[in-house]
Amino acid sequence: MAAGEFALRPAEALAGGASLEPGLVEQCRRGDAQAFARLVALHEGMVFNLAARLLGDPEEARDAAQEVFLQVYRTLGRFEGRSTLKTWIYRIVVNHCRNRQRWWRRRRKDRSFPIEALTPAEEARLAEQGPRADGPEERLERRERARAVQSALLRLSFEHRAVLLLREVEGLSCEEIAGTLSLPEGTVKSRLSRARDALRCALANGKEVR
Amino acid sequence: MIACGRVRRQLSSYMDGDLEAGPARLVAAHLDACPACAARWRSLRSAVELLAEAPRLECRDLISARVGDRLEVETRSAGLALILRPTWKARPLIFPSLIPAAAVLVVVLGLAFVLDRDPEPLPAVVTRGAESWGPTAASGTESNPLFLSDEVSAPRVRTAAPITDLLAALGEEPFFVETVVARDGSVSTVTLLGGNSLQAGPLLEALRHERFEPGRRHGRPVAVSLYRLISRTDVHAPVT
Repeated sequence: MAAGEFALRPAEALAGGASLEPGLVEQCRRGDAQAFARLVALHEGMVFNLAARLLGDPEEARDAAQEVFLQVYRTLGRFEGRSTLKTWIYRIVVNHCRNRQRWWRRRRKDRSFPIEALTPAEEARLAEQGPRADGPEERLERRERARAVQSALLRLSFEHRAVLLLREVEGLSCEEIAGTLSLPEGTVKSRLSRARDALRCALANGKEVR
Repeated sequence: MIACGRVRRQLSSYMDGDLEAGPARLVAAHLDACPACAARWRSLRSAVELLAEAPRLECRDLISARVGDRLEVETRSAGLALILRPTWKARPLIFPSLIPAAAVLVVVLGLAFVLDRDPEPLPAVVTRGAESWGPTAASGTESNPLFLSDEVSAPRVRTAAPITDLLAALGEEPFFVETVVARDGSVSTVTLLGGNSLQAGPLLEALRHERFEPGRRHGRPVAVSLYRLISRTDVHAPVT
């Protein structure tokens, strides 16, 4: 990977960062710029991935990720440690993306989709992320699946999309999602059930499901 | 066997393993016996697995660099966001920005102090001779004679100077002479403007004794300058 690029990081890789959190947060609160840079490096992959999936536009996601970390920097003093830093950042990402989508809707920038779907270049890059041994047919199939999943996600409501991504992609428990979205756990479970079914329908017949 | 609708509502919990052992067994038994619910279960699992296996999106740009740049701007120059925040909470951002501002202020004030010294006094304006510049004398007087014009009549000679013999002795060279005829007809001044000054003394002395009928303007006598070219052969008077 060239310098200045971000590697793909599975969500599991972030788990190791949890043990560093208390000291890191304290250093950031004291204004340690290096500590904040480490915090950004630890979470930027997760923030960008979640924002890109929620908004469906890598450019928007890049701007959103930047704003999210600026907000983290400004409000880190209010972080009380009742949840993990990661779930606290998830909450900021979801709230920021929700506000950004509303902003776009108010300006009639979209009709059925919040923001435009992934670009062909983005889809092609996603298709190339599989094993090197894959042949052209497998890469094409993976590309089609990635496109179908993203397209189906964008047909869901923002709330369904958020709960699905937090659960299935980011691997949060229902309890953690409840803390992130400030919802009762039971509400999260019922919403997750409806969101899964909506995704199934969207993938099955391509119809818009709300 | 439990109803299909109830099973389908529990599929999500069944997937997460949230059902108690009893309800979970009932759902499993229903899925074994009901092809429609089994198909729905498979499609639901497939959809969730597709999403879970979707590759993570990668950012090719430097988010951390962009964040760092923005923070540097904020910390160096307090923006509107700082103004809108409580001052005490914004102090980590405000105080560092005050240091360069204070340094710039000190430099500017120092430069202003150095450059604002009183300059060397300018040399006094030379006024020598200015005292002779008094109010101009009234025109038509001996100190400010008039020139001949339509309004000013030429003085007429009453007593000419005996210069014929003098000119014969002075040779062929002509003399250009200004004569100021005073208001009483006498000669106020005689000035040699052209010609040999070494030889012109007797001529000028003779001219001072001339007498004129004074020049007039609006009927009143005025001092008039006469310019004359005098030679041995001719005497031109007056010349203007």
